Amino acid sequence: MDGEPILVMLVEDNVDHAELVIRTLEEHRVANKVRHFLDGQSALDFLFRRGEYNGQATIRPHVILLDLRLPRVDGIDVLKAIKEDDELKSIPVVVLTTSEAEKDVARAYYNHANSYLVKPVGFEEFKKLMDDLGFYWLSWNTHPDIKE
Amino acid sequence: MANFIDRFLKIPNYDDNESNVVARMTQGTAIGMIVLSMLFVAAVALIAPALVRRAIILAFTFTLTSLGVIALIRTQRLQFASALLVFVMWLAITVGSITAGGITAPIFVGYLVVILASSLIANQRFSTPISVGCVITGILIFLVQKEGLLPIPIEYPPAVRLGIYILFFVVTFLLQNVNRQNMHGLIKQAHDSEANYKTLLENIPTTTYINSTDINAYTEYVSPQVKLLLGYSKDDFLKDPEFWKKIVHPEDYERLMHANREGTKDGRPFSMEYRLIAKDQRVIWVKDEANLVRDEEGNPQYWLGVWTDITALKAAEEEQADLVSVMTKRTIQLQTAAEVSRAASSILDLNKLLPAVAKLICSHFDYYYVGIFLVEETREWAILSAATGKMGEEMLKTGHRLKIEDSSMIGWCIRNQQARIALDVGEDAVRFKNPHLPLTRSEIALPLINHGEVIGAMTIQSALPSAFSRVDITTLQTMADQMANAIENARLFTERASLINELETQNTELEQFTYTVSHDLRSPLVTIRGFLGYLRQYATSGDMLRFDKDLGRIANAVDKMQALLNDLLELSRIGRVINPSEAVAFSEIVAEAIELLNGPLEKSNIQLVTSDDYPFIFGDHARLVEVVQNLVSNGIKFMGDQARPSIQIGTEGEDANQMPIFFVRDNGVGIEPQYHDRIFGLFNRLDPSIDGTGIGLTLVRRIIEIHGGRIWVNSKPGEGATFYFTLPRH
Repeated sequence: MDGEPILVMLVEDNVDHAELVIRTLEEHRVANKVRHFLDGQSALDFLFRRGEYNGQATIRPHVILLDLRLPRVDGIDVLKAIKEDDELKSIPVVVLTTSEAEKDVARAYYNHANSYLVKPVGFEEFKKLMDDLGFYWLSWNTHPDIKE
Repeated sequence: MANFIDRFLKIPNYDDNESNVVARMTQGTAIGMIVLSMLFVAAVALIAPALVRRAIILAFTFTLTSLGVIALIRTQRLQFASALLVFVMWLAITVGSITAGGITAPIFVGYLVVILASSLIANQRFSTPISVGCVITGILIFLVQKEGLLPIPIEYPPAVRLGIYILFFVVTFLLQNVNRQNMHGLIKQAHDSEANYKTLLENIPTTTYINSTDINAYTEYVSPQVKLLLGYSKDDFLKDPEFWKKIVHPEDYERLMHANREGTKDGRPFSMEYRLIAKDQRVIWVKDEANLVRDEEGNPQYWLGVWTDITALKAAEEEQADLVSVMTKRTIQLQTAAEVSRAASSILDLNKLLPAVAKLICSHFDYYYVGIFLVEETREWAILSAATGKMGEEMLKTGHRLKIEDSSMIGWCIRNQQARIALDVGEDAVRFKNPHLPLTRSEIALPLINHGEVIGAMTIQSALPSAFSRVDITTLQTMADQMANAIENARLFTERASLINELETQNTELEQFTYTVSHDLRSPLVTIRGFLGYLRQYATSGDMLRFDKDLGRIANAVDKMQALLNDLLELSRIGRVINPSEAVAFSEIVAEAIELLNGPLEKSNIQLVTSDDYPFIFGDHARLVEVVQNLVSNGIKFMGDQARPSIQIGTEGEDANQMPIFFVRDNGVGIEPQYHDRIFGLFNRLDPSIDGTGIGLTLVRRIIEIHGGRIWVNSKPGEGATFYFTLPRH
């Protein structure tokens, strides 16, 4: 993508939710550094440089925002694939989902998710979460192997 | 003194009667000689004193000898005693004759007495030589006298001569008289003893007979008890000496004749049990024991035999044998009952229980065939559910079933709730004959009754005629009752297992539902609330372009939410709101579904192919329309950019349960194999870009499964998909 490093990789099948996330992140001036994927398969193709991304240069995002219920390849399977790969497993993966189910939380952490966040219902809350998330992962947090 | 004489004169008891007689005669003779000697001396002294010396010598010799003889008899030396007596008599006569002047001497007559005495008292062997000896001695005396070698004969006065003669006559008379009396005694004794034996023979409670020793074994005697034994008189046997052969039981005849021939050959004691037919046709069991009687030289004389009535004994033996056989049968029955009971309580799978019980009963009693029928739901047919042997396998394979009516044993038994017995199926009850079971000769059909309801019946067949008794029915019915219980238990168990299974499925679904509600219903809410915040901002700033766009997003989310809620409601109603099943023509269902999808079908320009040859099925009309509608609708949705889109509806054979298989086939995008199961799960959508709640296929599966059918998909990406499903045939 036009040479800019990708800071946030968003894997989200709901386009409205993706829009909400991107808009709230705008305030951190990273919106152009967000890359959105509609399903797990395309996200993995991108990370592993397969399929349509075959032969492209390696791009490591600072953080991956991952929804759990995804078409084709499920969110948990995407998480597993990342955490089982020696090169990719150091990338922080933040699960961002509507599910509050204990089962999902447990499975996410079991598969080495770095954080589990439930999408809040309510504009202010959603904005607050995205603000904090942006601050935390893009400002406060020190990232391994950042390529500027 | 008298006592002593008594004791001295007491003759000991010899072994045989003859010896006793001889002993008595010998002793009598001896005593007589002593008395006569005394009288003789006295007479001589009176008549001719000149001769008294000779007389005394003679008398003394006789007296001494007689005493010796008596003593010898006492010591059981009878032969020696009699020989001695005769010898001394001979010696005295000889000496007397020689010294008295030869044959003219009166004593010479004494030889006659010697001969007589010898024949009476001496043994047969001695009497002839003694007689001959007496004659020779007499002749010798005559010859010697003729030569003049003997002294001049004594001149006896005529009176003495007469006296001596008289004396000898008296002695002869006495001897002869004693002999006659003894003979009388002997004859009487013999007669008495024969009479005793006969009385004995004819009073013992058994029948005696005498048969000839030749191969014919003629009856020579039979005791009168034979009348009691057989009803025939002894004359029947004596008139026809082969009569006994005519009353031998035909089954024993050969055996008996063979034994008779063998017995005649070797002469060994005979013993055999066989049957005779009495005059009143009763069958009498006798034990025949006979010994071959031989004379002193060992020549066979006759067979002496005894017939003992052992009919009662035999009857008891047979009764005992019967009892043992009955006991054995009962033991086996009990054992089988125990094993059936064990199987009934331990095997909960009907498919294993029924064959196990059938096999148990069949093998334990050595029956020809055992089959178990179960009544099907409509109570119209009894379906063979377990059967033994090759023929059973055959019948199971062809789905052997019998109508529940009186035309079959099983049908009758189920209809009437009663056991039925046919003791000769082969001939008497031709209408019950089964071509698969040609050897059946008796059959018993037992109802399987549980809580007053006949749930099936068991048929037990034997290759033997009259193989079942009333007692057998009772025992086998007990087993049948037990089995009916077990079948009910197994059914309940299977029902329970399927209930548990269903509950588990529902539980999983409920979990899925909760999960979905927390995720999929939340999702539009996140959108609505999120964009509402922006709406407020844009309303304030007056950015109406963005306002409208976000309002569209919100409206969309609301629609989605409503669709989701509708589908959820629909899904939750399926289990509860299902109409009673009815016969439905599948062609009607297809037609209705197509009618409902007319719009979308036309819009997408899809060619729809359908068959006109559908079977009748049994189900809920409205729900089945939903099934077809959903599947066709899916086909339309996932058609992709196919140039010549087509959807085909049809039917294709039947599955293992004889349910017809239907299909809906499209030539759209297809589904990757790993998703073939997932697509039927609640809210599992493969493509977010395509409208839908992810409930459609879940709904379809629920409806099919409620009807007892199955649904599955066959597809490859890019090559379209075929959804197959089965439904019960009418």
